[in-house]
Amino acid sequence: MKQSTDLLKYESLAFFGKVNASISHELKNIMAIISETAGLLGDMADMASTGNPVSPEALKTYTGSVIEEIQRGFTTIRQMNRFSHSVDTPIAEINLTELIELVINLTGYLSFSGKAHVHNCDAGKPLVKTCPFILQSLVYQALVTHYKNGGPGIETTISVCSQDQNIWRIIFSEMSQGNQIFPDDISQEMAKSIDVKIVSNAGRLELDVPVSIKGAHSQEVGLF
Amino acid sequence: MKILLVDDEKKFASMLAKRLELRGIKVDYFFEATNAIQEVENGKKYDVAILDVKMPGMGGIELRRKLSRMDSDLKFIFLTGHGSNVDYKTGVSEASYYLPKPLKINDLIETLYLVAPEKTT
Repeated sequence: MKQSTDLLKYESLAFFGKVNASISHELKNIMAIISETAGLLGDMADMASTGNPVSPEALKTYTGSVIEEIQRGFTTIRQMNRFSHSVDTPIAEINLTELIELVINLTGYLSFSGKAHVHNCDAGKPLVKTCPFILQSLVYQALVTHYKNGGPGIETTISVCSQDQNIWRIIFSEMSQGNQIFPDDISQEMAKSIDVKIVSNAGRLELDVPVSIKGAHSQEVGLF
Repeated sequence: MKILLVDDEKKFASMLAKRLELRGIKVDYFFEATNAIQEVENGKKYDVAILDVKMPGMGGIELRRKLSRMDSDLKFIFLTGHGSNVDYKTGVSEASYYLPKPLKINDLIETLYLVAPEKTT
């Protein structure tokens, strides 16, 4: 049991590290664009100071590009902040749609990512009391598996549907098949720790999430 | 000097190309590895290829192998936004020159002259 708990902690840290690495890569790309654009504006200032004509339209375009990249940076930092705070409370009431949207955005920073959309089958908010960090990790691993197997440009829809008053089902209806396998043993362990049941069958993946994690488990789920 | 620049970050590639061109260096830039391969297959000659390591589909490492087979004289510089040791080691083992993003334009130009000293602008 201890070995299994240690493995879960290690995997959780590894997941945290992976997401942070992809975010830092995104931020570096943003900084690189701002740096090149600022450099180009500097080049144009040098040209102007030596009497060469500089187009006001070009100046406007490049300045606009810097503003766009700064906004992109703010959006990335907001996602990073939300993700980082997901470990604040081991068990919390969360909206599954919002959690999936965050995971979609986080996987979007990976070089091999495809596109994913979330669809609610029901009008009501899919609220569950669970460990948000572990659930995020499971959805993230499932999406990464789908992207790696499907290759560039693959698209998918993730549905959130009520099964009964105790279960919300997250459905990946067209999981791509390939060398990457989800769930692996560690994902099964993680799912078990938050009472999530994973069913994978012929390209369809379902994660059954209880409305509330069991009392006994809620005491055990402490990651760090 | 004629440069082939491949980076999936469209704005980065176009801005960098403009800055190099202002310094008298000719640049063709592409956002996908396959388009760059097509260009070389069509007979276009370049002195140096500047490749982003991480790109969707085919990354810079694999692209370098393919381009080398098509043009054995082509020299390579890798760029990356990743600062990990694994990436760094892979980059260094595949090409002698590896620059992290964000770039300093003067560092890139110095590196271009180191890679292809016989080419002057």
